[in-house]
Amino acid sequence: MPRIPTSVLIKAYQGTPLLPLLLQECRTLTSARNELRWLRERALRDNQPPRLGSPGWRTRLKIMCQQRSRGVPLQYILGDQPFGDLEILCQRGVLIPRSDTESFTFQAAHLIRQMALESNDTPSPRRQRPLRVLDLCTGTGCIALLLHALLAPNFEDMQILGVDISPTALTLAQKNLAHNMHLDLLTNRAVTQVHFHRADVLGVGDESESVPKIQEVLREYFPRLENSDGSASEFECDLLISNPPYISTADFRNGTTSRSVRRFEPQLALVPPNTPQSEMPDGCNVEDVFYHRILTLSLQSQSKLTVLECGDIMQARRVVAMYQAMTTDQAKEFTMEVWPNSEHDLAAHGFHPHDGSRCVIIQRAR
Amino acid sequence: MLRCSQFIRPRFGLNQFFRRTVHSDSGLSPVLLTRARLLASEHAKLTDRLAESFDAKIAKRAGELAPVTSVLKEWDSANDSIAELKSLLEDRQTDEELRSLATEDLQSTNGALPAISGRLKKSLIPRHPFAALPCLIEIRPGAGGDEAGLFAYEMLRMYLSFCSRRGLRPTILKQDVEDGPSEDRLSEAVIEVEAEGAYDILRTESGVHRVQRVPATEAKGRTHTSAVSVMVLPSFPETGSSMDNALNFEDPTSDYYIDPQEVRIEKMRAGGAGGQHVNKTESAIRLTHFPTGTVVSMQDERSQQANRRKAWQVLRAKIAEARQEAREQELVELRRGVLGGVARMGRGDKIRTYNFGQSRCTDHRCGTTIHNLDAVLDGGDGLETVMENVRTWMADREVEAMVAEDMAKNKQKK
Repeated sequence: MPRIPTSVLIKAYQGTPLLPLLLQECRTLTSARNELRWLRERALRDNQPPRLGSPGWRTRLKIMCQQRSRGVPLQYILGDQPFGDLEILCQRGVLIPRSDTESFTFQAAHLIRQMALESNDTPSPRRQRPLRVLDLCTGTGCIALLLHALLAPNFEDMQILGVDISPTALTLAQKNLAHNMHLDLLTNRAVTQVHFHRADVLGVGDESESVPKIQEVLREYFPRLENSDGSASEFECDLLISNPPYISTADFRNGTTSRSVRRFEPQLALVPPNTPQSEMPDGCNVEDVFYHRILTLSLQSQSKLTVLECGDIMQARRVVAMYQAMTTDQAKEFTMEVWPNSEHDLAAHGFHPHDGSRCVIIQRAR
Repeated sequence: MLRCSQFIRPRFGLNQFFRRTVHSDSGLSPVLLTRARLLASEHAKLTDRLAESFDAKIAKRAGELAPVTSVLKEWDSANDSIAELKSLLEDRQTDEELRSLATEDLQSTNGALPAISGRLKKSLIPRHPFAALPCLIEIRPGAGGDEAGLFAYEMLRMYLSFCSRRGLRPTILKQDVEDGPSEDRLSEAVIEVEAEGAYDILRTESGVHRVQRVPATEAKGRTHTSAVSVMVLPSFPETGSSMDNALNFEDPTSDYYIDPQEVRIEKMRAGGAGGQHVNKTESAIRLTHFPTGTVVSMQDERSQQANRRKAWQVLRAKIAEARQEAREQELVELRRGVLGGVARMGRGDKIRTYNFGQSRCTDHRCGTTIHNLDAVLDGGDGLETVMENVRTWMADREVEAMVAEDMAKNKQKK
């Protein structure tokens, strides 16, 4: 991590004594000032009306700043994070939604709307069941909920399923559904159209018998309907989206992953479990193990659109190659891209031309 | 030339802000009278058409013209009765008692005439195209370094408390402070005043405000002069379709249309790892409008969606104001052709001085001086008085401009 220039430190000390505390995590003055303002607003709000006997807002603010200087994520201190227009509650043990994921979700909603418009032009008998969306490793439920908010005006009938292995995450996701409906950020339909369910996507840790396998859950929620062609699988969906754990053990330790993330966010949501080499698919890196599993599910469920967040361009390319290897005989049926790629998309969504995360978008050609 | 016609809308419903009448002589310039008659006949035609079939647009226009017509009627009847009374007085056969009554009546009618002509003038003043809109106030320090930043902060406080006193809800969209020892040195601030018609109330404030005082940062007790520039911008709602046709910024034919292709959207981002590896709380966004070079950046909210929306709002406001300004400039050029030098106060002109040494506030447009600076700076009665006088001044200028415009038109016809 680059050192903070002395001049910046001096300026921070000249401001309020709380600023240097925040500077340790924020690294720039502008960012530290913004965080200080957000924290102050929250401290003031929490103190309304002022209660006798409890510490005042200044004390509260100081405590929050001290927490922040120890590296506690701002979102865990404040308890929420904006995601699209939603307010997603955050708590220890569940990954905090990132702005990158927000961009990918918007792009996914945009594409599914576009695809629906195109398929409306050529009427097909298959549009009888609701739009089905599967969000694997849902965490706070942010992707599933934002997709509902974005797609509700266009799709009357939807089934959105968020899946996670962590009971803490599922409880929080459920809370987020209720919280955003209470704030009127989600329509009333959300309560019947969005579901969260516990399931094991990888299906390797077989000693934990209590966790249902993902296929069982999908068979129950997204069963294949009668009139479709007879292929092997028993479930289908339209959009498969996921932000699975994708950090390698090396990157988790060598400083690529920031200290605050490493120390305060759940490793379960960041690093895929260490799978013995014998059980790994051929040529698959340990950190890519989720993608192999999810791509298989995408093929089985014949999803029309698959959107997968990846840690960097290299990983995204590996995922594309993996999918190509899995579909050699039917290559023409799919279009694949690493997004964002164009200069315009990169700038508009705040992506660095070389660094930072990307997503892989797979569209099934009609 | 054709553009001018859409400005000719009576200023109705805003009269409450014009308690002080336009300074007037009882005589009304013939140009104004012709214009009033034209509008009145248009109103008559429109009401006839409305009687046949209802049309919202026509009804709106008729509603705008109604005050002109009614004041013109008053004016005509007053003039008629004056003529009648005069003929009565001139008539030798009128008996003494009637004569004295007529003299009395003539006096009272003559007395009422200036008020009526004043009202007529006001009803003729074209309504500002943004008058009904809420507004944004942008405050930036100009020349004067630290001191300008400090005073900009005081002006921010002044407008916030002015709005609260008037029952207008102000919200701070953006408040950037300069690097340095204290929190109260502004480098830029934008306030949103959400009330309808706020633009019309506050548009007197656009321009350069000058402060003369011994700054807190001055060691040797010298008086400094610094400047703060204030811009009052129209605030458009998020979707254009709810607006009038002329103001619908989503409609490519509107004067305030912004082509999204001409705006570059940038989210600031440094290199290094992203995604799950880091947890950045920055959500800054920057919009650049190429054709005008207007840049707006916004970082105050945690939500990037909110920052994006606010940035668009400010960008739209800035571009609309700039276009409106350019159009007014065209009109000024036109007037110059007729009247010679026409004074116009643009945003670049010094409009007001706050002198702490003498505890006074002088507005250079209307010439008002308030000898109680605190009453101005706390956004109270002092500021209200100054703004009121400026409004009167602006109304007078507009009447002058209108006369000049019509004269120019007539000249061109000849």
